[in-house]
Amino acid sequence: MGCSASLPDRSSSGRLVGPNSENGGASDAKNLRVKLVLLGDSGVGKSCIVLRFVRGQFDPTSKVTVGASFLSQTIALQDSTTVKFEIWDTAGQERYAALAPLYYRGAAVAVIVYDITSPESFNKAQYWVKELQKHGSPDIVLALVGNKADLHEKREVPVQDGIEYAEKNGMFFIETSAKTADNINQLFEEIAKRLPRPAISSTQNP
Amino acid sequence: MENADVFLGLQDFLERMRQPTAADFVKSIKSFIVSFSNNAPDPERDSAAVQDFFAQMEMDFRAHPLWAGCSEEELDSAGEGLEKYVMTKLFPRVFASVPDDVKLDDQLYEKMALVQQFIRPENLDIKPTFQNETSWLLAQKELQKINMYKAPRDKLVCILNCCKVINNLLLNASVASNENPPGADEFLPVLIYVTLKANPPQLHSNLLYIQRYRRQSRLVGETAYFFTNMLSVESFISNIDAKSISMDETEFEKNMETARALLSGLSTDLDSQYNQSGQYAGYVHRSESMEPRHQPLNANKDSAQPKSSERKSRAKNIPYGAKDNLSFSKIPSLSDLEDKGATILVNDDKASQVFREYPYLFAHVGDLTLNDVEDLLNNYKQLVFKYVCLSKGLGVAAPSLPVSSSQTEFHQHAETAKKQDHSRAIEPNDEVSNDSNRNDGSLEPNDEASNDTNRKDDGSIKEPLIDLDNLQSLLSQDQAVAPQGGKHEESSQ
Ligand SMILES: Nc1nc2c(ncn2[C@@H]2O[C@H](COP(=O)(O)OP(=O)(O)O)[C@@H](O)[C@H]2O)c(=O)[nH]1
Ligand SMILES: [Mg+2]
Repeated sequence: MGCSASLPDRSSSGRLVGPNSENGGASDAKNLRVKLVLLGDSGVGKSCIVLRFVRGQFDPTSKVTVGASFLSQTIALQDSTTVKFEIWDTAGQERYAALAPLYYRGAAVAVIVYDITSPESFNKAQYWVKELQKHGSPDIVLALVGNKADLHEKREVPVQDGIEYAEKNGMFFIETSAKTADNINQLFEEIAKRLPRPAISSTQNP
Repeated sequence: MENADVFLGLQDFLERMRQPTAADFVKSIKSFIVSFSNNAPDPERDSAAVQDFFAQMEMDFRAHPLWAGCSEEELDSAGEGLEKYVMTKLFPRVFASVPDDVKLDDQLYEKMALVQQFIRPENLDIKPTFQNETSWLLAQKELQKINMYKAPRDKLVCILNCCKVINNLLLNASVASNENPPGADEFLPVLIYVTLKANPPQLHSNLLYIQRYRRQSRLVGETAYFFTNMLSVESFISNIDAKSISMDETEFEKNMETARALLSGLSTDLDSQYNQSGQYAGYVHRSESMEPRHQPLNANKDSAQPKSSERKSRAKNIPYGAKDNLSFSKIPSLSDLEDKGATILVNDDKASQVFREYPYLFAHVGDLTLNDVEDLLNNYKQLVFKYVCLSKGLGVAAPSLPVSSSQTEFHQHAETAKKQDHSRAIEPNDEVSNDSNRNDGSLEPNDEASNDTNRKDDGSIKEPLIDLDNLQSLLSQDQAVAPQGGKHEESSQ
């Protein structure tokens, strides 16, 4: 059951800055503020991934006291820049699929999640990749995530399939487990590294 | 995030505008507002002009000695004050100002009036664990306040408060049932359901108005997320068909037919009522003589007919004709009847006397003693009985009386909500009460400032005793009843 059941992964290199480090909102060269949208079938683990990322480091034992539809989390990278992720969850039920463009409009990152025990969810992930390639902003960073990697014995989507599909589409790929916290922070750190940076002496208009 | 000090922001802003050194600001604000009266509405141009003006003024504030040494927060609240001031003035010109939007408003309103009659939570994938229709009434009430305000931020806050109530209810339900924390899969369907049931009039125009005139740089982060959800709710509802709510095609059509029949039956009944009573004619007179920006209080929840005729005549510039207003498609629901009543109350000088019958209406928790319990219970039983009989008499299925059946539950929710709610919900400042002494284009800081002072910003999800505060401001408009705002003070901090 619950995705917040076990201890979080503390091995990762990126430091979390804490949920309340507002920087007045504006992005600059050192402090990026980034809209990230989550897409994928209902039940693949989107909410758990975000909660693990946002809350897991801090009080792994306490009951979750926030909803998971919108959450933000700032991470500090080794080059002493910070990235504040504003994470937009989307409803995964089929009947709401047509609403997705309202959510990914203007997103800098789309994280497309499937469940490695469900080929169907992998198909749906591919559908989202295609849709975003067609209608997302051209410089959007796409990440493909195979979640529930802890369920080895039930695996139905081979790692290789994920890797190949992502490679073909020029996107970042990772398998995660929101349950064990495996690769959760790595996912967001890798995304942070791939973000286009505004020029240091910013003269251009976004 | 939306901060709670905007009310202070407006006051502070107006204060500064009174300084002699602010003369240039006052001049440009005035002339900007006046410039709008010379042109026909053009939403895109108008929105761009407003956004540019705000941006320019904010830059000028920053550079001006009046704000020398001020913090970012103070500058920010000056911007908020400016936005609220300007948009309150421009509201009548830019809100629902083109016929297309008015038409979409009417279509959406009608769609919701029909679908709300047969939609079930299951149709939207709301799991049983998360179903809680009585508590959702709280969220509905927040949303229904949207037409009480003119400033974009205040309208936005109604949406945010609605979303927060839903989020807190979902969260409580998930904790109670040991479910995973609620995300968009749980949130969006409930927001759709709540919106359908609330059916706030002119929803489409409200959303466009916020999108166009809320300062862009402030429509970000969590606020932008919840606002986007509202846009997506509108989109989903306008496209509702059998498939999108997993209903059999013929069943869907049948439900729509039944809903139409019920509503048009009701509206014919009302028709004759209106004609006999003359109350309605009184209303019309009033709305004709007023500019639309002086929307009477009932604008908060459309009384379908008067309101829409007002809108239509505004849009098409056709003088009001008594015949065309009860078009067949304008269909009151039970809540429309409530609204009709509210309209009558607003116009009734003796409104306060009506409430003498209900001794507890303005009581605060602290005023009550144990001995009052029996009396209260009797009162309550009588009310329920009257209400159910009335509903039956109208041939409408009586929804359970919201206040009573869930009051204790509400209190619990409100408590937990307070504890869990990190970002505070804010009450928008009440504008209704100072409408009467507004005049166009002139920057007269005094009236707003003084009228807003009796308003407390309240840091928590509001005391959810349904529409009491609505009623109170309604009455206080007539200067009929003294006590006000007790609930707010109690639940603040
Ligand atoms: N074993 C396992 N279960 C998971 C994992 N992530 C989520 N779940 C479970 O999958 C179900 C759906 O998760 P949820 O985050 O609500 O999915 P969402 O609909 O995509 O947001 C829940 O029962 C979770 O406990 C995971 O990494 N491993
Ligand atoms: Mg979810």
